[in-house]
Amino acid sequence: MAAPALDIRNGRSSSVEKVREQAEEVTRAAVEISNIAGDVGRGAEEQAASIEKALGSAGAMSSSLKDTATQAESVATSAEELVSSINEIAASVEQVSANSVSLAQSVTQTSSAIKLAGSSIQNVVGKAQEMSTSAQQVTASMSEIISSIKSVSSETDALTSSANETAAAIEEMSRSIEAIASNADDLSAAADETASSVNEMAASIEEVAAMSENLASSVDELSSSMEQMARSVRAVAQNAEKITEAAAGATTTAEQMDRSIRSVASLAKQADQTTGRVARDAEEGGAAVQKSIQGLGRVRDSMAQSATVIREMGKRANEIGGIIDTINLIAERTNLLSLNASIEAARAGDAGRGFAVVAEEIRNLADRSARATSDIATIIKGLQEVAYEAVTSSNDGLRIADESSRLGEDGLSGLKKILAGVEETSRVTGQIARATDEQLAAAQLVVGAIGTTAVQAKQVSTAMAEQTTSVQSIVQATGQMRRIAQETAKAMNEQGRAARELIKTAQNTTSISAQVRRASMEQAQAAKEITEAAEAMRRGAASTSRSLVEQATAGNQISTEATRLANIVSSVSKAMAEQTVAADQISAASEDMRRQSDQVAKAMTEQAGALRDMMGAVKDVSRQIGSITRANREHLNASASFSGVLADVRQVTERNVRGARETLRVAGGLTEQARTLNAIMDGAAGNGFAGKKARKKKKSKR
Amino acid sequence: MLEEQNGSKTFIIFELAGTTYAVRSRLVQQMEMIEEITPVPNAPASVEGVVFSRGRVIPALNLRVRFGFERIPIDLRTRLIVIEVGERNVGLIVDSAREFISIEASAIQPPNEAISGLSGKYIEGIATVDNRIVLILDLSEVINLAEILIGDQPAHTGAQPAKQG
Repeated sequence: MAAPALDIRNGRSSSVEKVREQAEEVTRAAVEISNIAGDVGRGAEEQAASIEKALGSAGAMSSSLKDTATQAESVATSAEELVSSINEIAASVEQVSANSVSLAQSVTQTSSAIKLAGSSIQNVVGKAQEMSTSAQQVTASMSEIISSIKSVSSETDALTSSANETAAAIEEMSRSIEAIASNADDLSAAADETASSVNEMAASIEEVAAMSENLASSVDELSSSMEQMARSVRAVAQNAEKITEAAAGATTTAEQMDRSIRSVASLAKQADQTTGRVARDAEEGGAAVQKSIQGLGRVRDSMAQSATVIREMGKRANEIGGIIDTINLIAERTNLLSLNASIEAARAGDAGRGFAVVAEEIRNLADRSARATSDIATIIKGLQEVAYEAVTSSNDGLRIADESSRLGEDGLSGLKKILAGVEETSRVTGQIARATDEQLAAAQLVVGAIGTTAVQAKQVSTAMAEQTTSVQSIVQATGQMRRIAQETAKAMNEQGRAARELIKTAQNTTSISAQVRRASMEQAQAAKEITEAAEAMRRGAASTSRSLVEQATAGNQISTEATRLANIVSSVSKAMAEQTVAADQISAASEDMRRQSDQVAKAMTEQAGALRDMMGAVKDVSRQIGSITRANREHLNASASFSGVLADVRQVTERNVRGARETLRVAGGLTEQARTLNAIMDGAAGNGFAGKKARKKKKSKR
Repeated sequence: MLEEQNGSKTFIIFELAGTTYAVRSRLVQQMEMIEEITPVPNAPASVEGVVFSRGRVIPALNLRVRFGFERIPIDLRTRLIVIEVGERNVGLIVDSAREFISIEASAIQPPNEAISGLSGKYIEGIATVDNRIVLILDLSEVINLAEILIGDQPAHTGAQPAKQG
């Protein structure tokens, strides 16, 4: 920028202006860059600081992760130890469980053994009680024995004394007995005599008694046969009366029968007559029926003949019809011919006039014959219809005649049957008439016989009434006889009995006196023996008395012993009862024990289950710790690489910071240069307008 | 001629479907009973066939069919009226024909206006004979061949289509 020349000052001025503007822009840009670089520097520094912090915390995390990993590993180790120890526990628990189960079993056995022991103890107790009771009973009976021995002893004493007394009395008695024996001998002789005389008397009484009994029995027989006779006489009398009544009834009946037989006879005769008339009528009817059957046969024949004739007539009528057809055809042809003749005649004109007339007449004739044949045809048709109807009706007539003939034959056979029946009836009625005649004769005989019977029965009845009266008086007489005989027999029986008793008494007296004598001698003998025995007894009683005293003493001792025994048994019993109670308690306790050991076994089993669960849980824990350890390692690796990255970032950031500082420095230089340039530009412009403008702009920029 | 001289004309009277018709006897060649008709193939419905008459073969026209009535079987009274119109001989089959009469010309009246339509062209006139109404036929119209062919459908179905002319 050398000093400018005037002529080019204007041109230069504009380009300088431009340069100045650019310089200003550069300045502005440099300032902005400087600002930005400042900002960048500050941000980079902040970033570096925060990276430092991050690095620090990453290092801390890494170290804590390392710690964690270590701890996790130790946890894993301890978990494994835990698992093994739990396994051991489980094994010991299972052992305990098994032991407790066997304990329970042995407790159960013990319990049952205790129960057995208890029941045997109770048995022993029962036995001991029984023993105690029987000991008491022994004691009691020993006491009784003792007391009875004592009483026996005292009685023995009394016996001894009374034996002495007895002996004395017996000696006296022996003497009086001998006296009695001599008296008895006398008595015996007298009794013998009495007995023989009484025997004789008794024999005679018995004879009388037997005779009177015979008499009574024969009177009885007589009496009963008389009574029988009286009863039969009465019965005969009653029967005779009944016969009389029956004869009277029979007479009446026979008369009625006679009357009815007569009426039957007359009716049978009437029936015979009627039957004869019926037979005649039936025969006449049969003849008439046969005649009508023959007449019907003739009717049938003539019907058949007329039917044949009528059919023949119909055939002829048909033939006539054929002839009529022919005649008709001829008439038609004649008509045709006459028409053709008329046509030809008309063509011939006047020459054909006569011919035309003839043709006309021929045509008329033909028409007439046609009409006549038509009439005949109608008549023939009617005739044929009538003939057909006649044939039909004659066929019907034939059929009806046949049926009538058959019916007539049926009627004839019916009439023949009637005739046979009537003849049978006639024969039967003849038999009836004969039988009734015989019956009539027989009935008259019966009536006569019945009358005779009635008269005889009346006579019998009268005779029987008389017999009844006499028999009744006989019966009364025999009744009196029987009573007397009975009384006699009774009296004789009583006498016999008395005699027998007398004999018996006499015999007794004799035998008694003999016995008395014998007894007296025996008594005497016995008295002697008693006396001797009494002496022996007295001696024995004394010795018995002594031994009884000894016995009483021994019995007392036994009693005492028994009482003691009873006491001992009682105490044993009590002890056994206590034992029983104890055994029961033991049993209950062992039962409890068994229950508890069961519970223990159950609890052990549960514990074993719980331990297994726990072991599973610990294994899970161990596994999770393993996974945590693995994760930790990965974290550690990650944080290490993170730290590396952070270090890189820090380096970059530091470079940034350095770059930013550099940039700041450069921007400051640039700003300085731009200001310098501006100042130069201002000086180069030299002029106020541009300069002012530029200054103003600078001022505004600043 | 007889007819011209006494002012009357002779006619053949015939019956067809209950109506009495008349044809001039001058136009009638002869009358016959029908014995045998030989059918011809592809003939119109009204043409029954051909008959042999007095040495000639002539067509037999069923007048019932021609006039639109139903066909009836041939019997003893059926007649064939052989006519000659112009140079043509034709046999007309009618129910019966038994009369030959002469009718006064004054007794013949022209056909009534009421029936002079389609059917009227066959009627030459109407006469009253013995209290009977008699329709006198115009035979040239009746045997008009073209009309027979047009008015009728073929009565017999032949193997070949019809050749007319």
